[in-house]
Amino acid sequence: MSGQQAFVDALLDFGPANQACPSGLATWNHSDPARRFAVYRNNVMISLIDALADGFPVTQELVGEAFFRGMARQFAIAHPPRSRILAYYGRDFPSFIETFLPAASLPYLADVARLEMLRVLAYHAADRETLTRDEIGAALADDSELTRRCLVLHPSVAVLQSNFAVVSLWGAHQGLGDIAAVDPTAPQTALVVRIGLDVNVVGIDAATGRFIGRLIQGATLADAAIYASTAEPRATEFDLVASLGVLLRWKTICEFSAFSEFSAPGTSER
Amino acid sequence: MNKPMTAAALALAFGAAMTVAAMPAAAQDKMSEKEKCFGVALKGKNDCKAGAGTSCAGTSKIDNQGNSWSFVPKGTCEKTASKTSPTGFGQANEFMEKKV
Repeated sequence: MSGQQAFVDALLDFGPANQACPSGLATWNHSDPARRFAVYRNNVMISLIDALADGFPVTQELVGEAFFRGMARQFAIAHPPRSRILAYYGRDFPSFIETFLPAASLPYLADVARLEMLRVLAYHAADRETLTRDEIGAALADDSELTRRCLVLHPSVAVLQSNFAVVSLWGAHQGLGDIAAVDPTAPQTALVVRIGLDVNVVGIDAATGRFIGRLIQGATLADAAIYASTAEPRATEFDLVASLGVLLRWKTICEFSAFSEFSAPGTSER
Repeated sequence: MNKPMTAAALALAFGAAMTVAAMPAAAQDKMSEKEKCFGVALKGKNDCKAGAGTSCAGTSKIDNQGNSWSFVPKGTCEKTASKTSPTGFGQANEFMEKKV
């Protein structure tokens, strides 16, 4: 084992007793290196919990700070960071919440956390110019291949299909609507999209969500429309004009592109 | 949708959607309509170029901190009250807070 690996293992040893201290450490004042190292180890843990608290503010408000920090600690022990980018820390947090027994009484909590992670990802997604109204008009004019076109959507665009009222739950914590009036068990679909520096959370119907989700995966316009109108279970009737309206209103369309097998559904992950 | 999707039908749907979804001018280019404004952010609510979780966003320690800024709609900065600002309003450049 390399010295660096031993150091890392000791740093992430959050077990209760007799925590490991890497050998060869010295202190300037001859105090116990294990105690000094424990301060460092604690700072690592606190910073990870703080990072999760920053990224999942509504999740924290739903369960309270004490519960959240306890849950975040358990997560950090089980899932130490794999990347140096702290902004993305917590991608696995929603799945962890789903299996975290003490939170089982709030079945919607994991999806609220998923929505919050999508917002972080949208905030940091690449910039890309979207088409203006005139450019879209020009692209539509005289395009006999339109059914075989794919839409390249803005890199921040994501869809979350939930069995719970994620949009209302999240919105109530932004001062939009009354939390007491929200039925958490009403299924909702969220569109996440960034315009400028503003990340928007938009409630859309399930069929529109399927349509946009399919487009993100690289399906053609025609395939996405057929999928949205036929996929089971039939939650809502698919309205093509309304769905395209959502894409236009939220300025999501970057390009009309030719269909590519390599980006077709089932052959790629986003 | 029981009828086969044709290019003409899709173009028509797009056309209809374009008239329904009138894109507000305000959404066209939000960035160009905002400006940095120092001294108007409540504590912990300041914006930052690099964004949440990566650097300075949300790190201001006091309300209306003079060296932290928020994006505000263009033209409103120097009309936004700042109790720490010597002018009484937000400023386009950072300033030393006056005691309140």
